[in-house]
Amino acid sequence: MEEQAVQTKKNPVLGLISGLLAKYKAEKPPKEPKRSRKEERERFKKRLATLTPAEQKYLKRKQFIDAVWPVCRALLVFGLCFVIIYPLLYMITAAFRTRSDMNDPTIIWLTRHFTTSNIKDAIKTMDFWHTLGNTLFINIGCSLVQVLTCALTGYGFGRFKFKGKNILFGVVILMILMPAQIILIPQYMFFRYFNPLWIYHAVTGNYINLIDTAFTMYMPALTANGIRAGLFIFLFRQSFMSLPKELEDAAYLDGCSPMRTFVSVMVPNAGSTFLTVFLLSVVWYWNDYYVSTSFFTNNSTIALQLKNLDASLTRIIFNNGNVKVNARELIVWMEAGCLLSITPILLMYIFLQKYFTEGIARSGLTGM
Amino acid sequence: MPRLNLSYEKKKGLYGYGFIALWFIGALVFFIVPVIQSFKYSFEDVTPDIGALIENWVGLANYKRAFMTDPDFRRNLTSVLGQTAWQTPIIIIFSLFVAIIINQKFRGRTFARAVFFLPVIIATGPVYAIITGDLSTSGTADADQFSTMFSANMVDELLEFIGIYGFNDKLTEILSTMTSDILNLVWKCGIQIIIFLSALQGIPTSAKEAAAIEGATAWEFFWKITLAYVSPMILVNLVYTIIDTFTDPTNVVMEQVLSIQDDWKYGLSAAMAWSYFAIVLVVVGIIFAIMNKVIYYDN
Repeated sequence: MEEQAVQTKKNPVLGLISGLLAKYKAEKPPKEPKRSRKEERERFKKRLATLTPAEQKYLKRKQFIDAVWPVCRALLVFGLCFVIIYPLLYMITAAFRTRSDMNDPTIIWLTRHFTTSNIKDAIKTMDFWHTLGNTLFINIGCSLVQVLTCALTGYGFGRFKFKGKNILFGVVILMILMPAQIILIPQYMFFRYFNPLWIYHAVTGNYINLIDTAFTMYMPALTANGIRAGLFIFLFRQSFMSLPKELEDAAYLDGCSPMRTFVSVMVPNAGSTFLTVFLLSVVWYWNDYYVSTSFFTNNSTIALQLKNLDASLTRIIFNNGNVKVNARELIVWMEAGCLLSITPILLMYIFLQKYFTEGIARSGLTGM
Repeated sequence: MPRLNLSYEKKKGLYGYGFIALWFIGALVFFIVPVIQSFKYSFEDVTPDIGALIENWVGLANYKRAFMTDPDFRRNLTSVLGQTAWQTPIIIIFSLFVAIIINQKFRGRTFARAVFFLPVIIATGPVYAIITGDLSTSGTADADQFSTMFSANMVDELLEFIGIYGFNDKLTEILSTMTSDILNLVWKCGIQIIIFLSALQGIPTSAKEAAAIEGATAWEFFWKITLAYVSPMILVNLVYTIIDTFTDPTNVVMEQVLSIQDDWKYGLSAAMAWSYFAIVLVVVGIIFAIMNKVIYYDN
């Protein structure tokens, strides 16, 4: 107040302005009265009249686009969603129809003979419940382990300086680029003739055969080398790099060890990345038939069972080809198998999709 | 004081090694050694035997066989390269478009996002192979006629609408294979849409406000603001799309490599896989070189 008084003495004009300003600030802005559409339009026209032609053109165009675009957008979104959902809808309808329906040209969507026998056949052929348990064991377990190990590695690359870091990170990039097919045979040999610490063979004269055991999936996951691990390490690195450095420094000053800092400061701040990586990891393990074909000879995962469904159907349900089924009729069984195998992961997606779709945008991806 | 500081930095560096140690052991066993071995295999005649592989050095014979004598390899290679060449730009443009749409606010956005990300959880597995018509492992039904994907042959419809029938068989065939697939490229866009979406959300509000004050139209905003901020992600997506198409186990080269592997001809399959990988690296390298000149980096 004193300062203001001094100013008023010195310069009356400035004092007047500041006084007015204070008065204006004190007053609440008047609420805009609600207007009808007609009034709104007239107001807009009046406003247009005061503007330059260029501004008029811009505003008119904007108004037009604001009116038309939502309609176009709705159509586009609807159409594209339809394209994606179409095969899934078809899967549901086809899985519950009899095989003769496939030869009936009048049936496109709705069946006349509702049946659950395809589903039952598929469950029997795929040994579904046993396989499901096995797949969950491999895929959820490996995903959890892999998320943890990749996070550790990503943190190491993102937040520490050490010699040879660039070369080692080059190896991570190479892991992303290299097709898994290239290194599969040496990996197979490693598991088939497993030689712990490279002395087991010399001592006992034997090898351990790990093929067909879950070790073939768990060992790479445990060392951050599982399915698409390179990509996950990369994501974690980006996400940890984008966190502010002050977080870490504060923890160090409080006497936290790096491991403690990682667990109690960094991990909670990278929650969305963890969720994203976990989901992608579960999905890719679930869908993988490529790596697991090589390491499993008996088909013990859902993806493998589905891949070999037609052969197993011929063997178990069609009695070694005694029942003649043409390829078009085979679709009903295949679609039933598909439906069975995507249902668990679809359920998981439906439960987590809110966090996934909203959280993914905030994850480390932006920092790339 | 500086000495103490140095020791702290050094200590931190050691912890860094600690954090990556687990990965390093794994990478050594499951990645680096296998990579070197398979590179060695590509110069050898490898026959499996009990307890080991019998390896005989044959020099470049495997590579010669892949490129000179093998009837399918070169053809498969060109077909995959061609397919990637026309699909990649479409996938990129399309996923950017979709990302821009689902970044806007409208009713049902959450549902739309959930649907657009749905391919991510399905498209890598055998379910995708089945719904695109690959019914059987024995190869009796590989034709597209069993595909249950949405299909609309727009080019044929358009040509018929205009009144042109079969003006050039070859051209019509090429066009119709392209357009019948084009809608289903949505299925290959999941990850790319996610990456673009996160990039779009990273556009600073100040840039948006500046554009609004200057009176930029949506069109100008796209070309001058969106594209600039998204350009680093275009590179990421380009590389991702190319790698994804090239390493997809259902593409013809990969199928051939795998079937040769199943015939126990490890040397030949390693040679094919390595020459294929070399081509991928060259393509990615060229794209990096070109894109690095166009990309705009904030800060």
